Amino acid sequence: MRSLKNLNEVNLEAIYKHFEKLCSGCDKLNTPECRESSCLIGFGKRALRFSISKGVLDIAGAKKMIPTGDFKVYYLEVIAPGLAETCRQCRQCQDNHSPDCVIALARTCLEYTVLQSEIDYPGSVFQYLAKVRDQAPELSALIAAELKKSS
Amino acid sequence: MGEALFRQKNGLVAVNIAAACGVFTPGQFQGLAEAVREAGAGALKLTSRQTVVLILEEDKIAGLAEKISGLGLRIAPYGNAIRSVKACSGGPGLCPRALADALGLGIELQNRYMGQDVPKDFKIAVAGCIRGCTDPHCADFGLIACGKDAYRVLIGGRGGSPSPERGKVILEQVRSSRVPEVLDFVLARYRELAEPGERLCKTVGRVGLKEFIPPFIAEEPAGSLQDDEFGEFLRSGE
Ligand code: SF4
Repeated sequence: MRSLKNLNEVNLEAIYKHFEKLCSGCDKLNTPECRESSCLIGFGKRALRFSISKGVLDIAGAKKMIPTGDFKVYYLEVIAPGLAETCRQCRQCQDNHSPDCVIALARTCLEYTVLQSEIDYPGSVFQYLAKVRDQAPELSALIAAELKKSS
Repeated sequence: MGEALFRQKNGLVAVNIAAACGVFTPGQFQGLAEAVREAGAGALKLTSRQTVVLILEEDKIAGLAEKISGLGLRIAPYGNAIRSVKACSGGPGLCPRALADALGLGIELQNRYMGQDVPKDFKIAVAGCIRGCTDPHCADFGLIACGKDAYRVLIGGRGGSPSPERGKVILEQVRSSRVPEVLDFVLARYRELAEPGERLCKTVGRVGLKEFIPPFIAEEPAGSLQDDEFGEFLRSGE
């Protein structure tokens, strides 16, 4: 696993905040129906918490545990800021991109909430946005607008 | 076992020298440079197998071999033998992406197995993460670290060939201490089942992958601490 000690520039809490915000708008919050492991947002939170507490960036084998059978409905507008945050935090590892990287896990969870399938991440934000544009132009415009806010 | 000596078009001979998965101490590097200069070779070339090759006159080979053996180096094996091992720089305190000590394991395997006779050349590659910088999918026996001291084992890969083959996974989550048992099993089956001069991928294709899966490990999955840890963490409190 990659150690976060060497990755000071990654701010996982910033991504976590977006997931918490999504939870706060969920009907199942604080009910027995809230099960993090079978919820895309809950899973993302767990992965981020695990990563932060263990000080590791890669969670070997976690990608295949993403609950892709969660079909709760979200608006693009509430998902885009979180996706933009994953773009901000992404280290753009290019060919070394790992689907088990916690940033990639968070991004994949968010993608599944609004897209039919995940986007095969090319390891760079620029290429990623181009891919999102091909698949979901409205979403890519929202992410780009979010990113512009912080630039 | 043959040695990696190759006659060149110009009549000279290329000699391939193996170190510990490509790791040289400064003393070895210095001693090698002196030996190479004395042997009259003008240059050294790095190879894709993490060895170095130099070109010299045939009558200088014996002297060079003696000198380098004093440095803890040797002429690499060639022909129907287990070749020098390729391992990435994944190790404690090294590559930040590595999950396990791939370099340490690679060196251990090389010390233990390099040069052993086999039906056809047999290449081993160890990678510290799924990115596989050492091409473990293209090795006869490939290891990919998938967790802290947990390796995926692939066999029957072949690179550097007009018909490359991708290795097939036989085991997941094998601890480094158990890798030699797995390799011993695969080698024993290979020696038993291969036709003369048959590369492992061909034997696997002919007799099936099952023949090479060690039952003693498959029955006792080691489990990856990290996978379990996250799985447990994921389910905890629900
Ligand atoms: S490129 Fe991939 S592996 Fe690298 S930080 Fe981004 S998501 Fe993680």
